[in-house]
Amino acid sequence: MMMITNLQASGKGEGYTSKSAFLISFRKRNLRSSKSLLRNCAFLPPAITVKFAMISTESDPPAETSSPGPRSPSGQPFVMISVTEPVKMGTGVQSYISYRVITKSNMTEFEGPEKIVIRRYSDFEWLHDKLAEKYKGIFIPPLPEKSAVEKFRFSAEFIEMRRQALDVFINRIASHPVLRKSEDLRTFLLEEEERMERIRSIEAGIFSKKSSDIFQMFKDVQSKVSDVVLGKEKPVEESDPEYEKLKNYIFELENHLAETQKQAFRLVKRHRDLGQSLADFGKAMKLLGACEGESLGKAFSDLGSKGEILSLKLQKEAHNLLMNFEEPLKDYVRAVQSIKATMADRANAFRQHCELAETTKLKEINLDKLMLMHSERAREAEIDFKESKADSEEATKRFEAIVKTMNEELARFQEQKTADLGLAFHEFAKGQAKLAHDIADAWRGVLPKLEAL
Amino acid sequence: MMMITNLQASGKGEGYTSKSAFLISFRKRNLRSSKSLLRNCAFLPPAITVKFAMISTESDPPAETSSPGPRSPSGQPFVMISVTEPVKMGTGVQSYISYRVITKSNMTEFEGPEKIVIRRYSDFEWLHDKLAEKYKGIFIPPLPEKSAVEKFRFSAEFIEMRRQALDVFINRIASHPVLRKSEDLRTFLLEEEERMERIRSIEAGIFSKKSSDIFQMFKDVQSKVSDVVLGKEKPVEESDPEYEKLKNYIFELENHLAETQKQAFRLVKRHRDLGQSLADFGKAMKLLGACEGESLGKAFSDLGSKGEILSLKLQKEAHNLLMNFEEPLKDYVRAVQSIKATMADRANAFRQHCELAETTKLKEINLDKLMLMHSERAREAETDFKESKADSEEATKRFEAIVKTMNEELARFQEQKTADLGLAFHEFAKGQAKLAHDIADAWRGVLPKLEAL
Repeated sequence: MMMITNLQASGKGEGYTSKSAFLISFRKRNLRSSKSLLRNCAFLPPAITVKFAMISTESDPPAETSSPGPRSPSGQPFVMISVTEPVKMGTGVQSYISYRVITKSNMTEFEGPEKIVIRRYSDFEWLHDKLAEKYKGIFIPPLPEKSAVEKFRFSAEFIEMRRQALDVFINRIASHPVLRKSEDLRTFLLEEEERMERIRSIEAGIFSKKSSDIFQMFKDVQSKVSDVVLGKEKPVEESDPEYEKLKNYIFELENHLAETQKQAFRLVKRHRDLGQSLADFGKAMKLLGACEGESLGKAFSDLGSKGEILSLKLQKEAHNLLMNFEEPLKDYVRAVQSIKATMADRANAFRQHCELAETTKLKEINLDKLMLMHSERAREAEIDFKESKADSEEATKRFEAIVKTMNEELARFQEQKTADLGLAFHEFAKGQAKLAHDIADAWRGVLPKLEAL
Repeated sequence: MMMITNLQASGKGEGYTSKSAFLISFRKRNLRSSKSLLRNCAFLPPAITVKFAMISTESDPPAETSSPGPRSPSGQPFVMISVTEPVKMGTGVQSYISYRVITKSNMTEFEGPEKIVIRRYSDFEWLHDKLAEKYKGIFIPPLPEKSAVEKFRFSAEFIEMRRQALDVFINRIASHPVLRKSEDLRTFLLEEEERMERIRSIEAGIFSKKSSDIFQMFKDVQSKVSDVVLGKEKPVEESDPEYEKLKNYIFELENHLAETQKQAFRLVKRHRDLGQSLADFGKAMKLLGACEGESLGKAFSDLGSKGEILSLKLQKEAHNLLMNFEEPLKDYVRAVQSIKATMADRANAFRQHCELAETTKLKEINLDKLMLMHSERAREAETDFKESKADSEEATKRFEAIVKTMNEELARFQEQKTADLGLAFHEFAKGQAKLAHDIADAWRGVLPKLEAL
């Protein structure tokens, strides 16, 4: 399979663990089968493959079904995280949802075999911001939206969508070759609730400033920094044509994904409307049938019952579309926005690299001047220059590190996108085909009765 | 077939002509096949059966396709009427639609083999009102609604629906064993346009009063007539329990039919909405596919194209539902309202019969009194009494005629309803099944490409 090959090629030897956790996240998203995807994945122990195929579409706590079977080779390192059991805590405006985060692992760093902690959305947010701060160049997995209209905040659907999204989020981190080693991840997964709360509130103050910084850059990828030293008014940007193409692609991708997601959401609504209409129609038909007698009445009643049955199927498919198609699309819109945040980091790093290089050059010129003049300030200038040079080299290293990381991340992103979106659209087409098939059967079933009239 | 049997049983020997014209009206309504219905109809010449089966769903002038073939036995009397070619005439507020009414017949009274006249809605209305006036007890076939919101009055859809409904209307009259003999029908089908217009405007004055009378009774089946002579305040009503049941059935039927028609109309709208949504979705998918490359991009483009194709199918089915399902239901709501008008006539006739019977009895009592007194006024009173008695017997005969006719009409109505609604719902189920089948095929068709990703 393409995905495995590329991972091997890029030397990500931990392909197994990252893939299993990665795929697990989509099992828990209640997507069905794609057994072929699993069958080709040589890394997974057979028992897990079978268990995955058996996961129902009901959201029973995934923890039970995704534990490794008795035949899993104990040697292979793995980590599986479940975000489960959303529970409403507190009262009034201060109420919030808490989740049980269950970490199953055979690795000592995750305090296996099992560790359970209670976490809330702000804790996930803390982890996200910490990683975004420390791992420049990496596309940090996106969080589900922070706020929601008050009346939806505790609706069953919203809670389930958020739980699902947080589960995907944490597993993406755990399956990322670099992020999974982060200490903050371990803090998140293992720390006592009280310590976690303390850590979170301490950093809250620092973060609000950092977050706004990030958002500032987020909005303004081509940050205009009027540099008095440089005497330039134009923003400092990379002129790499390949990178230009990539930026355009990312912006286009975000637009088209967002539009597709919007249309997918509308499709969900239309399914619900049609379902409701069929239910009302079925009811009217049954009343008509009751008022008529004999064969005509019976035919009408049957038609009415079919209408009501199909209405339920339509509502079910609407829900399926929402959870397994529209949500993944929304998730990828957020993922692309995360890439844009990384692009902002890169632009920032580039700017610093340029500025410091310029500054260093000017200081060198100044130093040479002072040395020619045998000035007393030469020594000071030399120290100044050497510091500046060190800073510049540091900035250049940082920039180049981001570029290198971004390239690796892009390759990884493209594979994941192909797999994830391919799966989501496969589920879409499958769900639509099954629904249509059931509808065709139902109506064909009443034809003999109507023909007999 | 049940229908033929009943017609024979009730001695309606003209079963062939009435049935052929009757069935023709539904061919022209663009309902498909129901070849079984036709095959079992022994009266129809084979050629017509074949031609009916070949009628397309496009509304080409039915005249061409419904002419009898060369093998039709010339002996059998038949009459087929087509309402075709709606043309906008006049300008501004005085504009209206005119239709070509083509009568094909081998009967001399219809000036066969073919007679063509131009008629407008008001002419159909004239015919309806004339028949309603002269044939008490018969359920006069209903007209399509008179008025329409100005902006829709000339929309293609409205014009086609009205043309279809007028075609059904005139053919129902031509296939009714009693109504088809009406002189007014011949006037309508054969008179020159100028004479028709004159006739119509002369009677317009008289009719507006009569129409309001009918509507008055229409609204108030249990007409409250405070009868000073009778000294009663309660309305005079039949106490026949069978008739009571029938009245309740008719009222219930109207309610349930109207509700079903309303829901059917909503279903049409939902089909259109879903179709529009799928088209937008398909467009977004194609843009997404164009932005992506290789296999993922191609899969997206295919999915998008499928969405657009299915959108067209949904719009087509929405139109089919409107013309061949919702319209027939609306038509039957009107037919039931026509029955209610007849019930009003019957109540009126009953009231008259009761009143005149009472009046006559009182006059008899008065006469006896005067005769005992050897009064001079006895002779006058005797004349008066004899007149009253004659009127009373006349009224009683009229009432009993209506009752008898109504019973025959009800039997006919039930048969027609079973056939017509059975056919309409058959078309509904078939159309839905086909649409769903096509949708299932389309989505299943893209699955292999998505699985290959």
